[in-house]
Amino acid sequence: MLMLNEDKIKLMTSISLFEQKEGKHIFPVNRYFKSDYVSKYMIRSFFGYTFSYLLVMVIWVLYSMDFLINQSSIDSLTFLGWRAVAVYIAGLAVYLTVTWIVYAKRYDYARRGLKVYMAKLRRLEKRYEFQDKTKELEKGGRTS
Amino acid sequence: MMGLLVMKERLKVLYGRCDGFINALIRFLLAFLTFFMLNQNIGYMAKLKNPVVPVVLGLLCSFLPYGLISVLAAVFMLVHIYSVSFEITLIVGVLLLVIATLYCGLHGGDSFLILVTPILFLLKIPYVVPLLVGLSGSLVSVIPVSCGVFIYYILLYVKQNAGVLTNDASVDITQKYVQIIHSMLSNQLMLVMLTAFILGTLIVYMIRNLSIDYSWIFAIIAGTITQLVVIFIGDFVFNVSVSVGPLLIGVLVSALVAGIYDFFVFAVDYTRTEYTQFEDDDYYYYVKAVPKIAVSAPDVKVQKINSRSHRTPR
Repeated sequence: MLMLNEDKIKLMTSISLFEQKEGKHIFPVNRYFKSDYVSKYMIRSFFGYTFSYLLVMVIWVLYSMDFLINQSSIDSLTFLGWRAVAVYIAGLAVYLTVTWIVYAKRYDYARRGLKVYMAKLRRLEKRYEFQDKTKELEKGGRTS
Repeated sequence: MMGLLVMKERLKVLYGRCDGFINALIRFLLAFLTFFMLNQNIGYMAKLKNPVVPVVLGLLCSFLPYGLISVLAAVFMLVHIYSVSFEITLIVGVLLLVIATLYCGLHGGDSFLILVTPILFLLKIPYVVPLLVGLSGSLVSVIPVSCGVFIYYILLYVKQNAGVLTNDASVDITQKYVQIIHSMLSNQLMLVMLTAFILGTLIVYMIRNLSIDYSWIFAIIAGTITQLVVIFIGDFVFNVSVSVGPLLIGVLVSALVAGIYDFFVFAVDYTRTEYTQFEDDDYYYYVKAVPKIAVSAPDVKVQKINSRSHRTPR
């Protein structure tokens, strides 16, 4: 008769729930070193920030159109350009630092989660080994 | 109190039994309310103002995640604003895109607050947002809340100036941008509300994390008082007009809603608090353990086996 193994069912349910809840964050981490993982998101953040900065610049240019048109000399326009570049670089530095902190923390958290997940899997594996051995022993007992 | 706790347990059981349906219902109500409120307040696109549209979109949204509902609501709002002014649509569109790119990429879980904050403003109970965010969220959530406040005041600006914005073809296009951005950023009531919300969230968050009894209740009270004080100071300093009656009613209802949230999420019994102390190689631990209030919903079944009144006389 087929017997339900309650321990195993509990363990498998908890693994399945863990996968469902945390899997989205944890499994991608397993494919990267920390530096690669964080760099990947920093590159994404770089493009995101640049895109947002350009959008805001469009609005700023529309807002300050009169002011820009009234700038008579090239020097003052160049100065404005440099100031825009400085603001861009300062904002980029802040945003990339925030990204770096957030994703480094997220990586560490996911690593810890992965350890818990692996421990659960090992316990399940041991359960299977134990079950197989018991079956073999039972078989051996009947044949001899 | 006991009756309330039993009701809470029953609600938990009910939610456990049909969580899929309840979640879909909540999403439907949120989406329907959003589209309905947008139609009522800035419904300038005649085709979308049809009352069937919020119902259909609400039903569609009951199957969608909150992030996608926010995107749909943003598009819906932009379409309405576009009927009034292309310039405001561009400014709001850029603002939303920048938030989506910079903030939601990093911390997307609470982006629904951008949607919920304006709705609660329209329902006259916006003061509940800092209380709930301070109690349940992280401090970073003040960013989407602030964006929500900003969006509400943009909607208000569009609503109040719709006639002027539609008929000012004679004004130079660059002047239009200057005028709109200037009126948006110099709205002192908005700045007062932003300050009240940010400070309120900060105070609630700090007090909630203190190791004192009834910290959540104190946090709600302190957050409510902070918001009131900031609004009154703003009223006094910047001379912004806030009508006291609706403000007080809104604040009281918000505190009540936060109290209900506290009851459902953080019901603990401080009278049975236990303190313990131990050490390991590196640390001394001073532990305060507060038990949760737990009651089991009574499952009473009355089964009549034999009733005297029905016995026939011999």
